[in-house]
Amino acid sequence: MELTDSQRAIRDFPASGSLFVEGPAGAGKTTAAALRLLTLIEAGVSGAEVLIMAPHRGALLPYQRALRSSGYAGPTPAAFTIGSLARQMCAQFFPLAAAEMGFAAPEEVPVFLTLETAQYVMARLVDPLAFAAAGGVRVDRQRIYSQILDNLNKAALVGFPHTEIAERLKAAALDASAHPAYEQAGYFADAFRAYCLEHNLLDFSLQLETFRRLWTQTAPRRWVLERARHVFVDHVEEDAPSAHAVIRDLVAAAQSALLICDSEGGYRRFLGADPASADHLRATCDQAITVSGSFVMSPAIAGLAEALGAALGGLDESASDRDADALRGALDFPDHTYFPQMLDWTADSIAALVAEGVAPGAIAVLAPFMSDSLRFSLLQRLQARGIPARSHRPSRSLREEPAVECLLTWAQIAHPEWTLIPPGIDALAYALMLSLGGVSGDDLDLVRARLLARAAYPADDQPARLRPFETLPPDVRERVSYTLGQRYDVLRLWLEEYIAGNNRAVAPAEPPPAPKKGRKRGKQAAVTPLVSAPPQRAELDHFFSLIFGEVLSRRGFGFHHDFIAADAAANLVDSARGFRQTMAGRAVFESNLDGKTLAEEYVEMVRGGVIANQYLRADGEIVPDAVLLAPAYTFLNNNVPVTAQFWLDIGSRGWFERLYQPLTHPYVLSANWPGDRAWTDDEEDASRRETLRNLIYGLLRRCRSRVYLGYSQLSESGNENAGELLAAIYRTLRRLYAEPGVEDDVV
Amino acid sequence: MTSFKPRPNQAQVLAYRRGRMGVSAVPGAGKTRTLSALAAQIVSSSAIGEGQEVLIVTMVNSAVDHFARQIGAFIRERGLLPRIGYRVRTLHGLCSDIVRERPALVGLGEAFTILDEREADKALAQSAQAHLQSHPDFIDRYLDAELGPTQIERLVQNGTVSAAVVDLARDFIRTAKDRRLAPEQIALGLAASDQELPLAALCLPIYAGYQRSLTLAGAVDFQDLIRLAYEALERDPDYLARLRRRWPFILEDEAQDSSRLQEDILRLLLGPDGNWVRVGDPNQAIYESFTSARPEFLRDFLREPGVQPVDLPDSGRSAAKIIDLANFLIDWSIADHPSDAVRQRQPLQPPHIRPVGPNDPQPNPPDDQARLVIHNERLTPDEELELVADSLAKWLPDHPDATVAVLAATNHHGSKMVDALRKRDIEFVEKLRSTTATRLTAGALTHLLRYLAQPDHPPLLARAYEVWRRLDRDDEEASERLKRVLAVLRTIERTETFSHPGPDGDWLDTPPVRVLIEADPIIAEHLDAFRAYVRKWQAAVVLPVDQLLLVLAQDMFSDPADLAIAHSMAVALRGISQNNPGYRLADYAQELQDIAANERKFLNIDADARDFDPSQHPGKPIIMTLHAAKGLEFDRVYLLACNTYDFPSGIPGDQYTPEKWFVRGRLNLSAETLAQLNAAVDPGQVYQEGAATLAARDEFVGERLRLLYVGITRARRELIITWNSGRRGDLTASLPFQALRAHVETKEKGR
Repeated sequence: MELTDSQRAIRDFPASGSLFVEGPAGAGKTTAAALRLLTLIEAGVSGAEVLIMAPHRGALLPYQRALRSSGYAGPTPAAFTIGSLARQMCAQFFPLAAAEMGFAAPEEVPVFLTLETAQYVMARLVDPLAFAAAGGVRVDRQRIYSQILDNLNKAALVGFPHTEIAERLKAAALDASAHPAYEQAGYFADAFRAYCLEHNLLDFSLQLETFRRLWTQTAPRRWVLERARHVFVDHVEEDAPSAHAVIRDLVAAAQSALLICDSEGGYRRFLGADPASADHLRATCDQAITVSGSFVMSPAIAGLAEALGAALGGLDESASDRDADALRGALDFPDHTYFPQMLDWTADSIAALVAEGVAPGAIAVLAPFMSDSLRFSLLQRLQARGIPARSHRPSRSLREEPAVECLLTWAQIAHPEWTLIPPGIDALAYALMLSLGGVSGDDLDLVRARLLARAAYPADDQPARLRPFETLPPDVRERVSYTLGQRYDVLRLWLEEYIAGNNRAVAPAEPPPAPKKGRKRGKQAAVTPLVSAPPQRAELDHFFSLIFGEVLSRRGFGFHHDFIAADAAANLVDSARGFRQTMAGRAVFESNLDGKTLAEEYVEMVRGGVIANQYLRADGEIVPDAVLLAPAYTFLNNNVPVTAQFWLDIGSRGWFERLYQPLTHPYVLSANWPGDRAWTDDEEDASRRETLRNLIYGLLRRCRSRVYLGYSQLSESGNENAGELLAAIYRTLRRLYAEPGVEDDVV
Repeated sequence: MTSFKPRPNQAQVLAYRRGRMGVSAVPGAGKTRTLSALAAQIVSSSAIGEGQEVLIVTMVNSAVDHFARQIGAFIRERGLLPRIGYRVRTLHGLCSDIVRERPALVGLGEAFTILDEREADKALAQSAQAHLQSHPDFIDRYLDAELGPTQIERLVQNGTVSAAVVDLARDFIRTAKDRRLAPEQIALGLAASDQELPLAALCLPIYAGYQRSLTLAGAVDFQDLIRLAYEALERDPDYLARLRRRWPFILEDEAQDSSRLQEDILRLLLGPDGNWVRVGDPNQAIYESFTSARPEFLRDFLREPGVQPVDLPDSGRSAAKIIDLANFLIDWSIADHPSDAVRQRQPLQPPHIRPVGPNDPQPNPPDDQARLVIHNERLTPDEELELVADSLAKWLPDHPDATVAVLAATNHHGSKMVDALRKRDIEFVEKLRSTTATRLTAGALTHLLRYLAQPDHPPLLARAYEVWRRLDRDDEEASERLKRVLAVLRTIERTETFSHPGPDGDWLDTPPVRVLIEADPIIAEHLDAFRAYVRKWQAAVVLPVDQLLLVLAQDMFSDPADLAIAHSMAVALRGISQNNPGYRLADYAQELQDIAANERKFLNIDADARDFDPSQHPGKPIIMTLHAAKGLEFDRVYLLACNTYDFPSGIPGDQYTPEKWFVRGRLNLSAETLAQLNAAVDPGQVYQEGAATLAARDEFVGERLRLLYVGITRARRELIITWNSGRRGDLTASLPFQALRAHVETKEKGR
């Protein structure tokens, strides 16, 4: 691989001293940094002396992959996000800071809350009626929980006391009508904090604050610094000031440090990212270099980035010194009247690209929001053209994935002792469709699924169990087909064995459940169970894991080729495990279950719409060669360039607007915002323009050769949309297509 | 569509460059085209820079589409890219834009809900009910003393009383929000007032309770949207300044229907030096009773210093006879109306309508073919309907290419007309209750959901096919084909053999289908295409219901109004699903069916959502209300029920719809409530019981005169006006009707 001068400078930077590298995405910064890591290792540095930090786990992967592919077999370098570092420190040194922090039981092991379990706790404390009475702000229940938590986290990430949140929000508001609601939010944040302290619960904000205290103490600090003789920090622009403070200390103490900053980043501002604070790190380093150029963008895409950037109010530019033909060649921008036409065009264009030899995995379809209907409509079209697709949509409710609902249904069937209302015929039919038929529903259609569900799941059986296929009426068996019947029986038997295993584990003295009427054990044996019964009562996350791994993901079953369902199942397993590990055995939680099991409580929480944690699969997972369907910002954070990008619905104003959350504010709760100033429209407008410009730069810097602009005159909801991105594209096109001298007449 | 050659007065409007202009346009004066041409002219001039837009504000959604199309065409004609440099919005749309751009300014998240009318009504009724339960005797003081205990009991039992209270509270809340009065402000006013204001005191807690329930739901109603937009602009001067920069020109259509808040918002957006062109016809202001719109706002504007007034009196719409009748109504109302108050208020004012010259590109229909019938016979309501049905039965066969409308004063009356036409097998187009579009869209989606709830049910599959091929009904051959397919589809034994045929065979290969296809091969194409959709829809059932609905809508509709309605329904179903986690598809289908069956009002995108074009329905009578007919024209028009109830004149013996029979002294409780509200918050306003009722009568009389004027000016060639004696037989022909008749007779004699 040929390196640029800048890359060589990074790779060959001496093993003592610190270097700050800044440059746009795609300039080869991380590649050079990973090479530097290998260079150090080759020079005899042990992995145990290396500490890598990044704002999210995905950004750590390039270093881990580089090490693995180099064949390095020594100690693994420590790799942290600020969150994981804080958590690890709290786990090891909690008693050192707990009393000072005000925890009720400093000597006891604390309970770590995830985003999901923190919402669960918050739901017990917050009274939405108080917000209704306060007026001024209108926000639904789930969002109240998540926004209060968000405020606590921001205060911790930025480094100001959470008690200042309400005052900051009040000072930023242009009038007083929302003040009572901010005070309520502050009140419940206090209540939540007090509850956590009383019960030794560590939500993300308390992990950070506890860590901050630990960081001032010798033992914990030494523990980290010993592992940080050589420090690598990537994407400093996506981290928050509290992380920057730690990084500053690491740089000062380390023998060598390399800090990498993406000059147009800061996409995670809603999570506390602070590029301005990151920039201050430059001064802590011995040297700073700026890299430029792109290993990703073709010249035409680079030109397009400049032209669009200019239209969005960025650089000065003149169209004349650019190859307009080349730029036009990098763009595909047909005009459609209706939304479905745009989707057809998208699928056709992708099919054409794949036919030309572009790998599906090198194509990304991006939209400001990827709704279920949009994703479904795209998936259907791609599937009809034989093109695999996957999607990534974080920050959503788990329950919104059909695969999750399907797994919850099987969980209920597998736990007849639960007191939850059993699933209805519709839910069972949908679960059968997805499990036996897959995403297209072609293998098991809705009619046959309902037929099977009705016949196999008699409402009058208590507790309800699925009946063997052979015992179903002949016409049902004939209509459903023997092949599907076999598959159904595999699933059913697995569930039966699971139930039996669970019962044995719970009450070994009891005999296994008696065969149901008409059940012929001899015939049943014709279908061999795929797994023997679990020896002891399985936890819910084990159940999800088992049914997915042993049945649903097998060839012939619905999740086999369905990357999205597989992803959803994996998230559900992680989520259920997190819930169990947090809750199980804790009196503070288990005493409030009203006779339910923790597993039932979990199912109810998911069905209640809890916003999911951000799950990232472990390194080493093979990313399928499939078209990625994702929100634009998710794509940016994944940071994997593609050959072709489709920007859908470019008329939508969603491209231009941030997420508005009335009880929180990404800028007002940042380090740079003076606590006593009002947030006015000038700030809002400027931040939006900058954000859109950086988004567009960010996307184009991750695009190798072609951008397809999906536009329909009428949006999905029948409105004519003309957002800022569309206007900028028009302005660019006007310049690109204008004959010399025409432009003046037009404007 | 374009190549617009303006008339001299229209050219005067197009000569506008900046500043303020007020345009009074008579019916048929071509104001939409003129305003569209002006918008296109400004957009393509140097007056609009990069990032700036001409803002066009109009009354109804259909006008938005219409304007957008016309401006787009004009702009294309000038060789520019359409869609850039202008924005057409209703006031609600504009306010939604303003709030959605900065929701946090007014305490909203990005996903705030706009409550539809149905949900808002539900919340209001709950709040009213809660209050009435603790004050059950409140209404007694307003009941007619003649009523016996049994009658009163019946009024309470059958919900009349609570319905009346809900109506009062609705008017109270609407006015309070229009005046930007929060419940707390009114409470302060009431506490400080030494007057007795029981109706305001009744409505205040209902208002407060209603607002609380909206807050709990994270929602706003349509009125809030306007109020919040105003507040957002007031709160952030930078935002206001940016919007002023963005919209250096505001063109306002239908300005006669502007409300105080609309004026306030537009004035705020304009600033002291903003460029503003307001076009309207004060003679066509017909929304005073339902909204806080007042034609006085436009009239006052036309008189403001610095405003350039322009009249567009030339109209090629109607024959001279009809124009003369409309002009006569203006003169009569000013000079000869028997009520002093009405004459003083001048509900109708010049300019008179002026026929265009013969060389005009849109000349008036020839007068010798025009016809005026003022049918003076005393008829019962049924007889009146029979008369019109008879007349249509005779006229229609000879005029297959002409447009004809029957205009009723109320939806109820219109629906009776529909029944009369049905009895005679006369094909018609019904545009009543302003929810036709909603009903059709909801109906189509309901059938699909019902099918997906029971996909093994052949009649539902057939119904889904029928809905999917619904346009076939308009074509005779296609309609016959559809019937044949449906007959076979209904007999399918196992629906999966059609949707997902297995090894046991494909239903399309069965003998009855083969026979069908051999006779008409296009059926195979239709069924194949339908099968592909059915498979997709079946697979989509696992999605959340709102997302399923969007998938269905994208496959079913291309009309923007249908898509917008479907989208609103999806949002509504999402709300319903959150409140009812146990709902199944069949339950959602029922919700949609309720909407389709018109049992519930749904959203504001109803009446006008569809850009209705009468010329698409030649030879079929169109049944609609006078209100809904505004902006439309027909070759022949029937105006029904011109009696003293629907068109009172402010003379003794007249009756007024807002005055309830069971209220003492025939007080107009709604008007009295608003007067009490004003007295509570405006120190110095003295409330005197009954005064507001009398003032409301005068307003009502004026608005009804304008409604009659609107009705007359819908007719191009022929106009037939009738009246009836009412249900109890105690009504007479209205005074304006009699004046019109006398005028026509005099003219006839003169000839």
